[in-house]
Amino acid sequence: MEFQSNYEILRTAEFIRSRGVSRVALQFPDELLKDSTQVAKALRRELGNGVRLYVMADTAYGSCCVDEVGASHVDAECVVHYGHACMSPTSTLPALFVFGKAFINVNACAESLHQCLSISNKPVLVLYGLEYAHAVQDLKSTMCKLLLSSESNQKLYYSEVACSSINPSGYNIKDKEQPESHGDAIADGKVLKTLESGVTNKLESGTKYTLGGLTWITPLEHKMEDYLLFWIGSDNPAFANMVLTFNGCEIVRYDAEDCKLLNDFSHQKRILKRRYFLVEKAKDANIIGILVGTLGVAGYLHIIQQMKELIERDGKKSYTIVMGRPNPAKLANFPECDVFVYVSCAQTALLDSKEFLAPVITPFEAVLAFTRGRQWTGEYIMDFQNLMTSDTGEIVDDNEGARFSFLKGCYVEDLQPHENNGDQLERSLALAEMTEKALNVRNQSTDTVLFKGTARSGAEYLAARSYQGLSMQYENAPLQSYVVGRTGRASGYENEKE
Amino acid sequence: MVKFTAEGLRRIMDLKHNIRNMSVIAHVDHGKSTLTDSLVAAAGIIAQEVAGDVRMTDTRADEAERGITIKSTGISLYYEMTVESLENYKGEKSGHEYLINLIDSPGHVDFSSEVTAALRITDGALVVVDCVEGVCVQTETVLRQALGERIRPVLTVNKMDRCFLELQVEGEEAYQTFQRVIENANVIMATYEDPLLGDVQVYPEKGTVAFSAGLHGWAFTLTNFAKMYASKFGVDENKMMERLWGENYFDPATKKWTNKNTGSPTCKRGFVQFCYEPIKQIINTCMNDQKDKLWPMLQKLGVTMKSDEKDLVGKALMKRVMQTWLPASSALLEMMIFHLPSPAKAQRYRVENLYEGPLDDIYANAIRNCDPEGPLMLYVSKMIPASDKGRFFAFGRVFSGKVSTGMKVRIMGPNYVPGQKKDLYVKSVQRTVIWMGKRQESVEDVPCGNTVAMVGLDQFITKNATLTNEKEVDAHPIRAMKFSVSPVVRVAVQCKVASDLPKLVEGLKRLAKSDPMVVCTIEESGEHIVAGAGELHLEICLKDLQEDFMGGAEIVVSDPVVSFRETVLEKSCRTVMSKSPNKHNRLYMEARPMEEGLAEAIDDGRIGPRDDPKARSKILSEEFGWDKDLAKKIWCFGPETTGPNMVVDMCKGVQYLNEIKDSVVAGFQWASKEGALAEENMRAICFEVCDVVLHSDAIHRGGGQVIPTARRVIYASQLTAKPRLLEPVYLVEIQAPEQALGGIYGVLNQKRGHVFEELQRPGTPLYNIKAYLPVVESFGFSSTLRAATSGQAFPQCVFDHWDMMSSDPLEPGSQAGQLVADIRKRKGLKEQMTPLSEFEDKL
Repeated sequence: MEFQSNYEILRTAEFIRSRGVSRVALQFPDELLKDSTQVAKALRRELGNGVRLYVMADTAYGSCCVDEVGASHVDAECVVHYGHACMSPTSTLPALFVFGKAFINVNACAESLHQCLSISNKPVLVLYGLEYAHAVQDLKSTMCKLLLSSESNQKLYYSEVACSSINPSGYNIKDKEQPESHGDAIADGKVLKTLESGVTNKLESGTKYTLGGLTWITPLEHKMEDYLLFWIGSDNPAFANMVLTFNGCEIVRYDAEDCKLLNDFSHQKRILKRRYFLVEKAKDANIIGILVGTLGVAGYLHIIQQMKELIERDGKKSYTIVMGRPNPAKLANFPECDVFVYVSCAQTALLDSKEFLAPVITPFEAVLAFTRGRQWTGEYIMDFQNLMTSDTGEIVDDNEGARFSFLKGCYVEDLQPHENNGDQLERSLALAEMTEKALNVRNQSTDTVLFKGTARSGAEYLAARSYQGLSMQYENAPLQSYVVGRTGRASGYENEKE
Repeated sequence: MVKFTAEGLRRIMDLKHNIRNMSVIAHVDHGKSTLTDSLVAAAGIIAQEVAGDVRMTDTRADEAERGITIKSTGISLYYEMTVESLENYKGEKSGHEYLINLIDSPGHVDFSSEVTAALRITDGALVVVDCVEGVCVQTETVLRQALGERIRPVLTVNKMDRCFLELQVEGEEAYQTFQRVIENANVIMATYEDPLLGDVQVYPEKGTVAFSAGLHGWAFTLTNFAKMYASKFGVDENKMMERLWGENYFDPATKKWTNKNTGSPTCKRGFVQFCYEPIKQIINTCMNDQKDKLWPMLQKLGVTMKSDEKDLVGKALMKRVMQTWLPASSALLEMMIFHLPSPAKAQRYRVENLYEGPLDDIYANAIRNCDPEGPLMLYVSKMIPASDKGRFFAFGRVFSGKVSTGMKVRIMGPNYVPGQKKDLYVKSVQRTVIWMGKRQESVEDVPCGNTVAMVGLDQFITKNATLTNEKEVDAHPIRAMKFSVSPVVRVAVQCKVASDLPKLVEGLKRLAKSDPMVVCTIEESGEHIVAGAGELHLEICLKDLQEDFMGGAEIVVSDPVVSFRETVLEKSCRTVMSKSPNKHNRLYMEARPMEEGLAEAIDDGRIGPRDDPKARSKILSEEFGWDKDLAKKIWCFGPETTGPNMVVDMCKGVQYLNEIKDSVVAGFQWASKEGALAEENMRAICFEVCDVVLHSDAIHRGGGQVIPTARRVIYASQLTAKPRLLEPVYLVEIQAPEQALGGIYGVLNQKRGHVFEELQRPGTPLYNIKAYLPVVESFGFSSTLRAATSGQAFPQCVFDHWDMMSSDPLEPGSQAGQLVADIRKRKGLKEQMTPLSEFEDKL
């Protein structure tokens, strides 16, 4: 039965039973919401009345993440997540991911892969969207046959070995569960350890990578740049994530819906350049808003803390803002922020719409921008878990020279982080400092404070605003008679209808 | 045979009356560098024999190769005056030794920022004019710039040798030519009447005009000849000088001076009789190898030749003879010493131009008096790449106090505002250096009035800065330089190998430092942009970037990119409205073009956000016909709060309007920076807020609702007001002989340019052509023009104005429409413009 297997009802039931939980939240993305009742019914049939099932929808953040806050509203003990997932580790609840099974023409796909192999002189690494995970076993066997039958592939044998030695494993369960293995995925203890600690980890046999739920091992002497990446799936955030992370690699994408092979990713390269610009822009910022874009992904509090410290070290001011999914209108309510750092899962992290008043950058970009003397070498990290581990070490930079701003095309001075300490030491100058600051306000026109980002703190910005909220002086206000307001709906009040 | 040492120089540096800081300025190819060489030769740095061929101040390989000067180069010269020659000097002096800090500057218009930087740190200028070509475009430009900085000029009519050898003109004709050249220069100078500076015009009879042949290393002023003849005629030297110029004639037959030509064949003008003819005679004798005649003549003139020099023949002999008789260095240096001001003198009147702060504080007084004991005031005018890669010398002029090795200085950058910590550093000078052509000499300290190079400050200075003592917290900076050109030509650069990016970034930083005009920025799309004043300038910059600043790493350079502006042709056809995201707030706006000249007035800073509202409304109502009350309702300027667009409040009685002002302005700053057509800056658009409907709850009319709405309604009003593109246009000046005119017109026509002035230079076969040429079409213009005129025409392009493109950019396929599509494609935007319906809402 198509429905049963698509939603993996049996496996889900098995999972729930094995855990012995009684309250389960079923999380659906918007596009699968229509099937939610059917899934819940089917599950109930399997599990009986002992288990309470709750359907969750419309998550506050990206639907690819497990909505732990939502689930805890109903005291759920585990979450079953349906649809596309970013596989970010959860912080409290165990979760089962059901990716669904998208249709794929395995033969056509194998054909493309084969074609790729024959053109490329690099070993080919196959990566795919999680919704195609079910078809990988088939693809492998088809490929095997294909390669066997064609004589010409003799010299490409190596790449084939590289392909088969890589073990894509869509591990479905986190937290102490055994990884559900696809094909010949590694099932030893080491895997779990590496999953928790970061993107790369040196094993004895080779370097292990994990990305968006996929994991593979390359021999030690190989770098990722040595591979041709073959992506099966649509052009979604998971793919963008992969392209940006391995921006030095050659990448082709096989679109399973159109059965087409695409290899023009100038758009993605453009994104990378654009991110580079945003980093440069962030360097000029004085006030930074930290947007909390997740309440579930493990370690988010840690990274927020890390961001705050980072920003403070750089002599800038930060404000932490929780606002659900950001949109232009919400962010424009904080015009004092010159840039926002969006702390969220890897696949929702890239927000770049021209509509935003201030740029929104990822924690990795923030590290680049706010660490003096650090330069972008081309590597790109999307997952903040990786950032936490890879970058706890401080980059001490004694270069006290002025920073060159590419936006202004000249050197700009940054507020020295040590300035506060200095002030305390020189108590005798305190009065002079105060007068100096009093002079500041007069010297700067409010326009430059408001619109050119010269404000150093929210308070300074507020002081420059022409309207600072309702004043409390009622004494001289003349009494006004009340007037009849408008009636009707906002789309057209009654007095406006013509 | 180096005649002086660093110690010797250092000693004279303290004698502020015996210093002359001067720059050599001229049109391209009028012989600045060559002339400078002959001065350097006198100081003993290069051999007299090769003077004229070496071009000492062209230190770069490409300068030597192209035969043009690219960077201005400073050089310190030592000159000892004879006791007699100083007898007539009226000014203050101490001893007979003089120090001349000379800066050779480029003549090509693309590098005129170098000239600006040179002028700032000098007090006098030697204006070099080709005696045949006369006063050219760039002569005029730099001369005006010099006078604006209160730099006193002296003139030299150069390439005299052409008169004698190439053109073989007669005395009277030559006199007329010289007279015209001097007159032309004086016409420009006369417009600068400055009571403090006094009369800046130049007069041969007063000794402020020299006649030189840089290539052959000889020059004279009338003083030279006057001295020679004064004793012979038994008249006063000054009297003799007057007789040697102007309407004074001498008839050797009657031995009488008259005020006009008597008509007698022997009656000749004083200048011709006593200056031109003798020189001509000597030159002819040399060239014809009539040595038997030559030696007695030379003996009469008191010129003694060394024996080995007597064997020379032809040109070499002539050069040698002339150099010995009329050495260029003594004529020119004496002219400078006599007629150009010492720092002590010049700073008395220049302080007003230089100092930003109150003119009666201690810093202003120290500058005014050129006080070596006063607080340090030093202006860094440019950064010079040092021989160890990546480091720079900060080159500038000490206006007061002393700068010494190891001294802690306060660095005030261009954005420094007194009382703030912005753009301010305290650092120590590692080394102070004086520049002697290709050599640098370390000195312990440098007192005021001198130019100096400093090591160890390059991390803190982008292009220029004011330095003062560490503790002088009240000092105001020295006024920033104003450039006559702007960086309008841009290219995107990227590295061929992605991993070279850090090298590129570092290289761009260095490039930005090394040149006063180049701007290195980054585009929204993440491309690195290098902007320069012209094609040649950019070419040199990119070469430097790749070879010197990036260690040869390969770069990919895009085609030149020209930035456009977006404007409107008419008032919006209707009042447009946009709703906020929550639909509760509405903004009604209209756009209209600004009155003619208003945008320029804003550019020039005559009208701006910081003006007193009363003064602003006066200008607006009197010059631009604005309503007085309306002028007070300007909300802001943009982009960058100072740009040439504005928002004006036209609403009446709107509740809560004051609350949303900041939000509307924020939306406007954003929108005016990225117009609706192609995200280029807007220009000369006035947005009128006609009406506003706001939700009565403050939370629903916050910035989040209003800022995006303001942006949308601004776009909508722009699109309904017949949007147009503005393209930048160069003013091109070309000098060419008549036969080249056809070619020039042809090329200009083909490039969409048009000529608006064509003048023949009186007395020459040359024509002066002025034309407008779109910057977009200017790439390769120089070379095409040279090809079309067999190298006879040489254009100088300067950005002049923005010109509206007549075609409608909203119409696909039109010229402007195509341009918009191209720009959008380059920027990675959707190729289709966002339609009006996206911005405008209906009720």
